[in-house]
Amino acid sequence: MKATAGICLLSGLLIGGCVPSKDTTFYWGDYSQTLYDFTKDPTEETLAAHKEQLLLIIKESPNRGKRVPPGVYAEYGYILLKEGKEKEGLGYLNMEMGIYPEALIFITRIKDEYARGKK
Amino acid sequence: MKTIISLAAVALLVSGCTNYTTKGEFAPNVYDERPKAILVLPPINKSTAADAKEYYITTITEPLSNSGYYVLPTEIVNDILKQEGLFDTETMLAIPLQKFNEYFGADAVLFVTIEKWDTQFLLTSGSVTVMATCELKSTHTGESLWYYDKEVTVNTSGTTGGMGGWAGLISQVVTTAVETATQDYVPLARNANEKILESLPYGLYHAKFDQDRGTKIELKEKK
Repeated sequence: MKATAGICLLSGLLIGGCVPSKDTTFYWGDYSQTLYDFTKDPTEETLAAHKEQLLLIIKESPNRGKRVPPGVYAEYGYILLKEGKEKEGLGYLNMEMGIYPEALIFITRIKDEYARGKK
Repeated sequence: MKTIISLAAVALLVSGCTNYTTKGEFAPNVYDERPKAILVLPPINKSTAADAKEYYITTITEPLSNSGYYVLPTEIVNDILKQEGLFDTETMLAIPLQKFNEYFGADAVLFVTIEKWDTQFLLTSGSVTVMATCELKSTHTGESLWYYDKEVTVNTSGTTGGMGGWAGLISQVVTTAVETATQDYVPLARNANEKILESLPYGLYHAKFDQDRGTKIELKEKK
């Protein structure tokens, strides 16, 4: 019992950390930083770091009881399309429309541009 | 005599350095139209800082979405605009607003001109002073929904221009990790954007959507 309480307390401390955090609408991880790095210096490394961050946000958001933030599924899917992973990429684009119906026109536009580029 | 004193007191109260208004009075069109999807155009940079544009555009999505809006991913929007032969924001300004609705499904467009972007980096702290003119315009009516044209300073030492809270948090994050200047400035830029957005009513995805009409906001004189 004591041990369990200790573990709970410890994990609480680890999760809570010492820095007070405010509850935001979405969980964005390090998105701004990796996007800035990629925009400033578009290389394979900065793209890989940004992609990794997008995936982390997708995985972590439900753990925190939050919806995946606007554009994150779309951005991840868009990168996959550019890498030639069509099925997977389109799947993420559809997921964006699934949670954000207002993205319908935008996602359709991305799909159209992709189809046009393939020809 | 008493009347004169109370009149003077009232005058002092009214004239003060800062005026206050409510979000409902400041941005009534946002409550009427309830825009959901916002497209942020690449800013026009009139400042002397060459990288102000990148700092701005990459750090606006996070605070704008946290205010409850669907923000179209800036990176993809830029790509599409470029594919259409649109590279300069100046050229994009000539596009009729309703096209952004037809083409991207955006309910509103955020136009930004960066007038000043000063960064200072000292050994243990840094600061970013931003003067930006921001205007949110409806793609349905063409009307202005919200604007911002004041100066904002955020720094890592926790003393911000009148605001506390998150500044302390950033200060801890930044000073405990001795990193390169860019790694310090991205959170500062993000928080400058967050401050700029304080007078914008909350959007659909915010827990207090449509409940913030009475929220007091500072209203400084236009420069």
